[in-house]
This record gives sequence, C-alpha cells and structure tokens, in this order.
Amino acid sequence: MSRSDPAAFPENGGRYEIRLRGHLDDRWSAWFEGHRLTRQDDGTTTLDCSVPDQAALHGLLHRVRDVGLPLISVTPIAAEGVLQVPGAGR
Amino acid sequence: MSTIPIALLETKLHLPTLRQGHVARLRLGQRLDVETLPALTLISAPPGFGKTSLLAEWLAGSATDRTVAWVSLDPGDNDPVSFWTYVISALGRAEPGVGDRSLALLGESPGVDFRTLLTLLLNDLASAVRDVVLVLDDYHVIEATELQEGVAFLVGSLPPQLRTVIASRSDPPFPLARLRGRGELLELRAADLRFTRQEADEYLSGMLRVQVRPAHVDALEQRTEGWIAALQLAALSMQRVDDVGAFVEGFAGDDRYILDYLVEEVLDHQSADVRGFLLRTSILSRLTGPLCDAVAGGSRGTAHLEALDRANLFVVPLDDRRRWYRYHHLFGDVLQARLVEELPELVPELHRRASEWFEQNGEPGDAVRHALGGGDPERAADLIESTIPAMRQSRREATLRRWLDALPDDVFPDRPALAVAAAGSRLGVGETSLVEERLGQAARSLASPATSAAHPGLSGWVAIYRSASAQLRGDLVATVQHADEALRLIAADDGAARGAVQSLRGIADWSRGDLDAAYAAFSAGMDSLGQAGFVTDVVGGTVVLADIRIAQGRPSDARTLYEQALLRGTAGGAELRGIADMHVGLAALDIEADDLAGAQVHLRQSDELGEHKGFPQNPYRSRVVRARLAELRGDPAVALALVDEASEVFTSDFSPNVRPIPALRARMVLRLGRLDEAARWADGRMLGADDELGYLSEYEHLTLARILVAQARRSPAGPALRQAVALLSRLLQAAESGSRGGSVVEALALLALASRLQNDSRSAFRSLDRALTLAEPQGHVRLFLDEGRPMEGLIRSAASRADAPRFAGALLTAFAQAWPADEAHADVLTDRELGVLRLLATDLSGPDIARQLVVSLNTVRTHSKNIYSKLGVGDRRAAVRRAGELGLLRSPRP
Repeated sequence: MSRSDPAAFPENGGRYEIRLRGHLDDRWSAWFEGHRLTRQDDGTTTLDCSVPDQAALHGLLHRVRDVGLPLISVTPIAAEGVLQVPGAGR
Repeated sequence: MSTIPIALLETKLHLPTLRQGHVARLRLGQRLDVETLPALTLISAPPGFGKTSLLAEWLAGSATDRTVAWVSLDPGDNDPVSFWTYVISALGRAEPGVGDRSLALLGESPGVDFRTLLTLLLNDLASAVRDVVLVLDDYHVIEATELQEGVAFLVGSLPPQLRTVIASRSDPPFPLARLRGRGELLELRAADLRFTRQEADEYLSGMLRVQVRPAHVDALEQRTEGWIAALQLAALSMQRVDDVGAFVEGFAGDDRYILDYLVEEVLDHQSADVRGFLLRTSILSRLTGPLCDAVAGGSRGTAHLEALDRANLFVVPLDDRRRWYRYHHLFGDVLQARLVEELPELVPELHRRASEWFEQNGEPGDAVRHALGGGDPERAADLIESTIPAMRQSRREATLRRWLDALPDDVFPDRPALAVAAAGSRLGVGETSLVEERLGQAARSLASPATSAAHPGLSGWVAIYRSASAQLRGDLVATVQHADEALRLIAADDGAARGAVQSLRGIADWSRGDLDAAYAAFSAGMDSLGQAGFVTDVVGGTVVLADIRIAQGRPSDARTLYEQALLRGTAGGAELRGIADMHVGLAALDIEADDLAGAQVHLRQSDELGEHKGFPQNPYRSRVVRARLAELRGDPAVALALVDEASEVFTSDFSPNVRPIPALRARMVLRLGRLDEAARWADGRMLGADDELGYLSEYEHLTLARILVAQARRSPAGPALRQAVALLSRLLQAAESGSRGGSVVEALALLALASRLQNDSRSAFRSLDRALTLAEPQGHVRLFLDEGRPMEGLIRSAASRADAPRFAGALLTAFAQAWPADEAHADVLTDRELGVLRLLATDLSGPDIARQLVVSLNTVRTHSKNIYSKLGVGDRRAAVRRAGELGLLRSPRP
C-alpha cells in the first residue's frame, strides 16, 4: 500500500465512492448526510463522500443497508493535491 | 417475579401479529422444524424480506410444547442492563421462575459479570419444565462488543431446553463457521426468503382479489427480484389503479431505485393530510395517537394510525389492543429520508415536540434521544441532568455514559452536576481521558458561591473523582491529597461520599505499604458506608480489611473480620452477595493454621452458595486457595492446574495486587523441588537481589529470597547464599519500618534458614526465636511447615536449648503429623540408603562401609550419590549434618 492510499490509513478517513444499484432521487442526498449523488448511465448511483474516519463510513453503509439499497462497491478516492496513486480511485 | 431493574416497555416483548394478506411460507416453515432446531437459527437478510412475519407465522402455527420468549430490540438495548433485563424477562414470562435470581443480581450490582449472570440463567433453564424458543428480533441494532460476547456465550452453552432464533440485517459477529460445522446453526438468508414466482403470484392475486396475468407477475417478479417489501408496495398501488398493465409496464421499464418509485406511487394516492402525517411522524420509533398529535399537530392521530393499519400501509401494531404501532423499519426510513429533504427546517421542531411529549409522559430516555436527535443539546443536557439519580438507581450507567459522551463540550461549563457525572461515568469504566477536563469545568463553575450553594456536596465529589482519577493513573501522592481535600468538603452525614473517599485513601495507603494508615482509613470508610446502608459493599470490603490484617501479620484479626462479616451478610436469613468470598477467606486462614479439614468445609460452603454470591474476584481467589489445599493433600498436578486457572479468571479491582499469582505459582513449584522452573520465573520478572525494594514487589522479592536459599542449599559454594542473606536483611528492615508483620515473620524464618546454611547457628537461632515468638499468637503454623525438613531440623536443634520459645514444641508435633503427607511425594530414603547414611555418620572409610555391608565400593558410591541428591547436599559432611537435623540418625525405623 502506498502512503497516499487512504485505505492504508483508514483511521484518518478520506474520500470514498459508494456505488449502489438503481437510480436514486436527489432527495436521498439529505438522508446520506448531504453527500452528492450521481446517477450513472449503467443504472447505478454513486455517492461521493468525504468522511472524517472509518466510523463515519460505516455509519453511511448502515444507512445503505437500512433502506435495502443493493451495494455494489466502496472505493477509496485519492484526494486532490495529494500524490496520485495509480489504481486508487476508479 | 423479583425486582426488575428498569421499567419494561411491554411492546418490546410482544409477539407480532400476522398481517392481512400474509402468504404462508410453507417451504420455509418446513425447514424450521421446532423439534429439531439447532442451538441457533439465524434469519439474516436486508430489510423488507419478511423476517419478522416469517417468525410470527411459524411461532403462531407450530403446535409444540415450546413456548416463545420474544424480544424486539432497539438501539437503546446496547446498554447491558437494558438488554439482559429484556431477554431475561422474556424468558421468565415464557417459563415462570426462570431468571428470577439473575434479574435480582442485575438490579443489585453494578458491572455484574455477564458469565455469572448467564450461568445462573442457564441453570434455571436446564431445570425448566417446558422448552423455550428465545427470539431476538432486529439484532443488527446491537453493536456493544460486551453484548455480542454475552450472546455468543449464551448460544454456545445452551441446554436442550432453550433454542435461540436471531433475526438481523447483518450477520452477528459470532463464530458462525464453527456452529455451522457442528450442525448447531440453521440459516435462512435473503435467497431463501425472497418470494418465488409462485409465491409472488399467490400474494398479488390475494391482495388484488383477482388472478393477476402471468406476464404481469413475471414482470413484477423480475423487477423486484422477489423483494417482498417492493411487491407489497406494488400490490398497494395496483389495488388503486384502473390499468394494471400500464402500471406494471411503467414500473418494470423504470430504472429508478424501486422503493423510490413505489413509495412515490403510494404517497401520491394519499390525501395531503395523511401524507403530511406520515412524513412528520416518521421520526418516531413508536407511534400512539396522542404522541402523533403532539408531534404532527391535529387530533386525528389515532384515526390515522387505525386507517393505516386497515389499509396495510407501513405500520406494524405493537400490542393486541392496537394502541402502539411502529412504522415498518424500511418504510419509516424511506419516509424519514423524504422528510429531511422536503421539510428540513421542520425536523428539529418535530424532535422537540416528541421530546416534550415523552418528558411529560415520564419516559426520559426517549425524551433525551429526541432532544439529541433534534440537535438540541441544551435541552438534552437539562433532561439528562434531571434523570441522573434514576439512571444510577437502575444501574444503567452505560446509557448515561453514551448520552453524556454525545453532548458537546460547551454544555458542561454551566452545568457542574452534569460535568461531575460525566467524569464519574468515565471513571466507572476505567477511562481517564476527559475526566480532568470535566472536573476542571465543574470546579470553575463551583468557584462562584451562588453556584456552589445551589449544588451542596458537589465540590466534594470533584475532589473524590480527582482522587479516583489519580489512583487510576497510579499517582498515589495525588490520590491521598485529593482524598484529604474531599474529606474536608463532604458533609459529615454524607455516608456514601465519606465512605467512598475514605476507602480510596485506604487503598492508596495500602499501595504505599503504610498498612496502619490503610487499615484505619479503609475501616472508617466501611463504617461510613455501613451507616449509609450499603451493607453489601461493607461485606465486600471485608476482603480488603482482612488482606491488610494478614499483611500486618495478624491473621487471627483477619479471621474475626471474616466471621463478623459472615454474620452480617447472613443476618435474618439473608444471603448477601460477598458471603461466598468470606468463606474463601476463612478457608485460606484455616490452611495457614494447618486446619485443612476446616478449609475444606469453607470451600464447600462457598461452592454451594454459587458464583452469584461472590464478587468478581472470588473465582480467582477461591482457585488459589483450592490449589494450596490440593498441594497439601499431595496432588501437585491438580494444584498447578488450579493456579493456572486462577490466572485465567483473574480480575483486578481497586486493590493493589500484592500477591501476584505468578509469584504464588513460583513458590509452589519451588516447594515441589522444581528449583530451575522457579528461577526462570524470577529471571522473567527480572528480579534481582540488589533491586530497590517496595511494598508492591515485596511478595515477589520474598519469593526470590526463597529461590536463592534453595540454590544455596544445592550449591553451597555459589553466591546465592550471600545474596539471600543480604536481600532478606533488607526485606526485614523494610517490612519492620512499615509495620508489615506478615513479611517480618516470613523474612525472619527464611533468614534463620540462610544463617543455618552459613553454619552461623547463633544468628539462625536469634532469627528463628523472633519468628517463633511473633508467629505463636497467630497460630501461623504453615509458614514453618512449608519449609520442610531443613526447617524441622533447625527447630529441633533450637528446641534443645533451655530458653527456646514454646512454639517450637508445637511446631515439631505439627511436623511429625505432616510427615506422612510429605513422604507421599517427597524423595524418601530407602531402607538400604538409610543404612548407608548411618555408616556415613561414622568415621568408617568407603571401602570399610562396602565391606561391612558386603557390597562393592561402586554400590556404596551409587547409594551415597542418591542420598546426597535426596537430601539436597553436595558431600558426606553436609549429608551427615542434614541427616542429624532431620532426625534420620536416631534409630532404625520399625
């Protein structure tokens, strides 16, 4: 793991992309603590989240679970301005 | 039913009723055969897969002898007191009598060990008349590690009378693979639960009261993938639309998240009134008419709920009288997601109204939850402050701690009582972070005379917690300093506070090795607590007082303390917690006085009382005593196994660990003649004869001294003897200056043995005489017997003097009686070796001895080597001296 890979230092949180099956209305943004929703052409919705730590990420995943949304992936995204890591992010 | 620690919410123990339009899940029911259920049945699937309905159908339908204990869990049940109260109460209702003792235990003692609690419960269940199924619904809300461990322990130790069923949105962190491997796990997962095409057909046709066209069923089944919640919403919409085909086509061709699509369809068909009601009340985890009116406005709450119930829309009744409902969790969350999007400014206000309603209706827990949920920490802080005494009373420290931790920093400076409670709740779990900060906030606020006058006694608690915090950090000077400050601040009649601080001070003095001060302070603390009515704490505190007395070299006073506490704890037929500890303490004293039969009786009485009559330290303490007894009965394997068990179950309390189990074990292996193993312990602890001495390591250093004496005996030329004498002299001096009589007499006895090895009989007798004089009034026989033949020999020599202490004679008698037991496992000389030994005591040469015995010289040498090794000596002279001490040269044995 490279130093700038957020997953290597999960206690510090970071940016994650949560990908869900189905198109979610924008109204869900408030439910997911204001994180931005993007509906993708492949019928999925991505949730772009900055979380302070792992506990907050797990909190969001609980919310995904609790409304029965099918979870496809959780991907760490290298923060801008930090060293870009090949393969990190998408 | 005995006292229940907290007020129960009846609806949580209510077996849900079946919903209208329910599809019987025969194929699943067959797998849930009640007669062959394994220990754990796990129903694990996302929300909306019909977990609860399946269980309700199965439990209502299965004609069986098993009765049902149902618990619907919620996030508040992460408090162990709340969780176990519900679980045990549910079991008690299913099978009367089960759990009465565990509930009482939960109510009376803070931080009760869940193994003790569950062991009691399992014992009840093992003798239950009827078989019980325990259902824990919505288990995914449980996150507390302690509870996960508790439930895993329960599932792993079930008697056949109890089976557990857990319904959860995610798998619990139990060793599922192991349970699966042993055939003790039955799983129903999403793939099993989702509607098959046939079930979807049956369900839709039933709901719509007409046969649905196969193409429509196919389309819906594919789009929803058998997700029951979605099919249910689809059916609701299809009931209303004229053109079912168009609805199905529109739904199937849309790639929105299906719940979004379907909920919108359903909400669009509701009146504005109902729609507003649904959104506004979605913040509530349970619903009743008046509460809904208070939150959503209007007066039609009850009517709305009944209508929703009839229309099969979103709500689940929580009782038979249909007074309380909840939203189906999934829809409640979807509705709430809409609420925060459509009416965000209203959300805090809705929570405030809910909080007020719960406050007025005497449910402070929900009032606090909504105040926190609505982002009103000031209100939450006020509510928490007013409910602190009730929460303490019901031992729900965990909930209180969670609330206090959820409050932001800025509510504390103006609320000294809250800040002090926050400090106390963290200290209660051994946590020192934030403690100083909260106490500082309280102290600054209390500096104002008006604030101080409004909170009588609070300044004293600030000092008490500062003292406790210092103790947790190991700062004994600050512990004593704050304790003294607290004593000046606390009112004379506040027995609880005085008792707490005096005990703290006593423990600090004990840790410093100042036993007289420790005894005085701790004993005063117990008096204060006793006057304030805390009898159980006083009984428990006896262990501390008795330990101090033993360290002072006054075991007979320790005995009196235990006996008095036993009377107090059993007065009027009561059986207070802690009386098991008293019996164990008495057993230990009996052993030291060489009354093994008496010790046996006390240990049996402790056993019969059961673990729940003991404090958390009793399991390890009783094993230590049992180990000693096994050793003295000549069963070293059992003794060592018990010591190792004691290590495993060791739990510390506030008391200093003055007799660490590993040191105790080293002494035991040393007595068994395993000197190298004992020496390895000392090396591992990095103990040395030149160490700086302190009370907390005194027992270890005395153990090291024993090891050195044994090494000196084995190789007299080595440095061990000199080291032993120097170490013992320093230990003696330290113990004398701290009035630690127990260590004084021990050091003297060992010093006498060491001086004897130095061939310095004068010093040996002087030390021995002092030891005997000190030990006699206390009946301290074991100390001398433990040293075996060398000590017997020394006492025998000493007793021949005219002015020898009387106790010497009594000890020689005790040695004579102990002898057979010793011989059972000690190296004993054979008759042949005894014969050789007697000739070695003459001035015959080796060849002379061989000739006299008519054996070869080699044989004599072999015998001699064996004799030296058995006597632990290196040459003929030493062997003869030792034989004299042991009385082996007097006359041939019969």
